[in-house]
Amino acid sequence: MLQFDSMELPEETVALRSEVRSFLDSEHSHLTRRNSDFGSGHDPEFSRKLGAKGWIGMAWPKAYGGGERTFFERYVVTEELLSAGAPVGAHWIADRQSGPLLLRFGTEAQREKYIPPITRGESYFSIGMSEPNSGSDLASVRTTASKVADGWVVNGTKLWSTDAHRNNYMIALVRTEPPSENRHAGLSQVIIDLHDDGAQIRPIKNIAGHEDFNEVVFEDVLIPEDRLVGEPGNGWEQVTSELAYERAGPERFLSSFRVFVELVRAVGKDPLPHEADAIGRIASHLMALRRMSISVAGMLEAGKSPQVEAALVKELGNNFEKLLPEIARLAAPDGLSGDEERLRSFRSTFTDTLLGSPSFTIRGGTREILRGVIARGLGLR
Amino acid sequence: MSTRQMLTDSAERIFADHCTKALLDGAQEGEFPGDLWAVLKENGFAELATADSGFELGDAFAVLKVAGRHAAPLPLAEIMLGNRWLGSADRLVSVGLVDGDVVRDVPWGRRADAVIALDPSGGPPSVLEVTQVDSTGSNLAGEARDVLALTAALPLGSNEPGLELLALARVAQMAGALERILELTLRYANEREQFGRPIARFQAIQHNLAVMAAEVAAAVRIADAAVDALGGERFEFEVAAAKSRVGEAAGVCAESAHQIHGAMGFTHEHQLHHFTRRVWAWREEFGNEIYWRRRLGDHIAGLGADAVWDFLATRG
Repeated sequence: MLQFDSMELPEETVALRSEVRSFLDSEHSHLTRRNSDFGSGHDPEFSRKLGAKGWIGMAWPKAYGGGERTFFERYVVTEELLSAGAPVGAHWIADRQSGPLLLRFGTEAQREKYIPPITRGESYFSIGMSEPNSGSDLASVRTTASKVADGWVVNGTKLWSTDAHRNNYMIALVRTEPPSENRHAGLSQVIIDLHDDGAQIRPIKNIAGHEDFNEVVFEDVLIPEDRLVGEPGNGWEQVTSELAYERAGPERFLSSFRVFVELVRAVGKDPLPHEADAIGRIASHLMALRRMSISVAGMLEAGKSPQVEAALVKELGNNFEKLLPEIARLAAPDGLSGDEERLRSFRSTFTDTLLGSPSFTIRGGTREILRGVIARGLGLR
Repeated sequence: MSTRQMLTDSAERIFADHCTKALLDGAQEGEFPGDLWAVLKENGFAELATADSGFELGDAFAVLKVAGRHAAPLPLAEIMLGNRWLGSADRLVSVGLVDGDVVRDVPWGRRADAVIALDPSGGPPSVLEVTQVDSTGSNLAGEARDVLALTAALPLGSNEPGLELLALARVAQMAGALERILELTLRYANEREQFGRPIARFQAIQHNLAVMAAEVAAAVRIADAAVDALGGERFEFEVAAAKSRVGEAAGVCAESAHQIHGAMGFTHEHQLHHFTRRVWAWREEFGNEIYWRRRLGDHIAGLGADAVWDFLATRG
């Protein structure tokens, strides 16, 4: 049976939380279009300000610009930023997974080169996992990196790489050996410089009309020898550990949170019974999810590897992120109430969130893949 | 090992020994489980929540979760909280709701030594030291729920939040029953073979079990959080969130459990219904999801939109 223990955030997080709130109060110019979806706002100036506060790479070693703070402290900063709808997209992937990956598997030279600019909020990473014919079946990737005298030659196409047209680097999963009986063998990870290496980057418009994700094409792109991350052939293990970081944080249940805030604003302080019902229902889900997510942070802090628990939080959280706007839209006053001016803020927040919501149960592992991970944890596979 | 762990281990042994299918079937037919009641008294469970028991109130709710796991056919929550409020030790105290000139939904009211009457309209609670049974009946799980005449009621000396504590009791019982429902369903899916293999090997079944496991984990976590909030200023709202969220999980899990068990789980002969019918019954008792969501929602709306996050972002 999967167990999520009671976990109280430590005392030192109280002052930190206040500090983040004061900071956000003074940064209203960055909060003009609040959205709790971590991928919704790419604001380098804001990321640099967070870096200056020490809120990127918080749990990393000081030697590389990190803060050597706890997972709980990182948790508090993250949930405060997301709940406020702050634009965290630029540094998000670097902070959440590329940095930890390089710290764990990278060479000393790679750590010294790549980590400090991440902590300053100046260097941004994209994910290079999916391909045109490889989505959930990640081990089927066909992009290759072939060894040559002065480095590696990369050929292939990466797809759905968020902000590759704006970011500095991509960590790409590539084949360094031809496919064999063991599908997980022969994969490696390499760092691509998205500005200088000569990859062709083509933004793809999404259903909201935004150009956030990209197709990235490599045609005989030569990268230096020192761009390989970890051991050649160890890519599968590395990418799996990267996904564990990706799954249980507050970003997995807060993506539509601003819709809740605007719902409460729209109904006012004396709600009708069905409005109070919707507010209470949403709150009950958030209270359960947040405690489960904090419980996972506690397991990470204790040095455990709660992969199944993380998948379970993502499964529940992502489904709830989609349910929240559906509950809210039917509780909020409808379009015939003649109250549109008062509802403007609710409507725009709702629209932004709904148009982003299909991605909630796809990114970071689809709902179907996660249910498989949970089923394995239950001993069914 | 913590005191609470020792206590729940001991409760687990007692309930596992006594709460057989035969006992549950008999209780549904009106046979009072006298042996179980004697053993519970003998082991001090009836007085577990009293002021001088040496245990924390949270320990009583940990035991109630175990009782829920085994569908124990006694009103242990009412007994423990009732003895606490009456200052007695091991009387068979039950609890019901004032409805005009009767007290209804009284578990084993026909056997009770005393009955506490809660007034859902907000009036002060009272106690019936002499009981007069108006009619006997049961809830949809077949648990004894009787109607008593509201006569000779005396004021209850306790000012604890009775409705909240009993709602939390049902939350704890549901959390335990949901764990059991998941276990039974996992076991059945691994044993039942169709098309030459256990049905647990089919992806459709696996996904339903994954959803159940997630609902159960959420239910258990929020139930524990509400117990942790006992005595705190947020207690009322933690109970509200828990009763609503666990009630929602109960609906999802009971439905899936029956679907996976197929026709077999729809029979009286199978034990599954003793647990699924209980969570269906318990999600209605002491306020259903709508009741508690409205209380929570009214409170949050009153705080205002810009205070919503602060309300949610507690330390514990």
